[in-house]
Amino acid sequence: MIDAFISLRGSQLWREIKEIGFFRILILGGLIGFLFFILFKQTDVFPNVYSVLSIYLLFILLIQLIRQDKLFLKTHFRQYKLICLSEYVILSLPLFVCLIYHAHWLLTLVVFLSLVIIINLNFKFKRRDRNTKIQQFIPDDSFEWKAGLRKYILFILPFWLISLGTSFFIGSVPTAIFILGIIPLFFYEKSEPYQMILAYELSSIRFLWRKISLQLVLFSMICIPLIIAFIFFHVENWYVPIVEYLIFTSVHIYFILTKYAFYKPNSKSASTVIYGSIGGIAILIPFLLPVVWLLSVWFYFKSKNKLNVYLNDYN
Amino acid sequence: MITIKDLNIAYNSRVKVIDSLSLSLKEDNIHGIVGLNGAGKTTLLNAIFGLKDIDSGVITYKGEKISKRDLAYLVSENFFYSNITGREYLGLFKNKAFSIDLWNELFMLPLDKIVDDYSTGMKKKLALLALLKQDKPIMVLDEPFNGLDLETCRVIRAVLLRLKNKGKTIIITSHIIESLTNLCDQIQLFGKRSHRIQLRRTRVCRI
Repeated sequence: MIDAFISLRGSQLWREIKEIGFFRILILGGLIGFLFFILFKQTDVFPNVYSVLSIYLLFILLIQLIRQDKLFLKTHFRQYKLICLSEYVILSLPLFVCLIYHAHWLLTLVVFLSLVIIINLNFKFKRRDRNTKIQQFIPDDSFEWKAGLRKYILFILPFWLISLGTSFFIGSVPTAIFILGIIPLFFYEKSEPYQMILAYELSSIRFLWRKISLQLVLFSMICIPLIIAFIFFHVENWYVPIVEYLIFTSVHIYFILTKYAFYKPNSKSASTVIYGSIGGIAILIPFLLPVVWLLSVWFYFKSKNKLNVYLNDYN
Repeated sequence: MITIKDLNIAYNSRVKVIDSLSLSLKEDNIHGIVGLNGAGKTTLLNAIFGLKDIDSGVITYKGEKISKRDLAYLVSENFFYSNITGREYLGLFKNKAFSIDLWNELFMLPLDKIVDDYSTGMKKKLALLALLKQDKPIMVLDEPFNGLDLETCRVIRAVLLRLKNKGKTIIITSHIIESLTNLCDQIQLFGKRSHRIQLRRTRVCRI
């Protein structure tokens, strides 16, 4: 049985690799190498090693909480927790290598014990129907925002209000725009069923522009009051939130174009995740922004072709 | 009239799913397509809707290439976007004249709850409401009775018959012929490729 499971995981991995393609595997390899380099450097420095461990373990915890195959593993394998542990140990190998290389023996043990605890955590987030007035003001076409706000409203609204109220502190608004700019990136992770694309009854070009313009309008509605408040208190640094807003706007457009360039109904494409992560990194490392802009142009044409399969009759 | 002429569709350029199919489907009728799993029913519907590339042949409606503008398609799987309500989903479809609440009296769906919490049958009913809202002249339904209770099946039958009387052309598939016999004006029986039998209403009733 375990042989069958290993072969199943192998097939899944092979399918993902095939879907990503050779060129993108190279990009992914570079990205992983870069992240490993950062991991290697940071695990050598105190107290940074603690932050790295926390982020890594949080990432594994997130996988444990959201993975969809737990029921399958439970019903097919008696030792399903051992399987989960083995998978998490494999995922944590880069971390183990770095910790062992820098002779952090105790921390290596802590990471292993944390993985043992994580595999025993098995709770589900309770979903709630948060139908606020805000959703009613969002156009029907912007279902990503309706869904996203339903998920994150308890975080977004208090955070936005606190940021506005504390905008006299110079760091408050830029931090708020940064966090509120990252949240919408999650709205475009998963592709909708094609019926929802067809419902627009628009040509592929008009569909893309509609999606982009809705995103710009909704994000601007969040940011503009914050920017005005910042300029009111810190007029000499007026350009800071504006530049930040423009960077996020271009990354949002990039995310929308990436989603439709690799559109697969009802699923999260591996290519979308990989190219999306480049957009995410570009927020932190701005010299990658020209790459994002160039890719946006390429993905615009790719999206147009992809959407034509569904929207060709509306051209 | 929907005309399908010499339609050929193959997967991997070897396995022919539809082999030289020619059909004429009259307007204002309910057409059933019955066949075993893998007989090519869904492939045909996908080809009619333009989602499956055809190797050769033509599909026309009123003498012109069939277009998605004329079609509403209910697929057999229930897929929706997470964290949106039924009402928000229906709001995507552009037909201001359609009264969601009035139609929902038939289906009694909790439209202000998020779709993720709907049962399989409720999701199917929501997809049907979306299909009705589109109000296209041709309605294509792939296995619409799967996962529905008897009462809902009865309601859907009544709705489909009413739509037919209002001039809609309906194409409906099933792998169980009994589910279509008292609904369809014509039934196409799909067996293995090229084994196709057409039954008109009188013969359908005898079956």
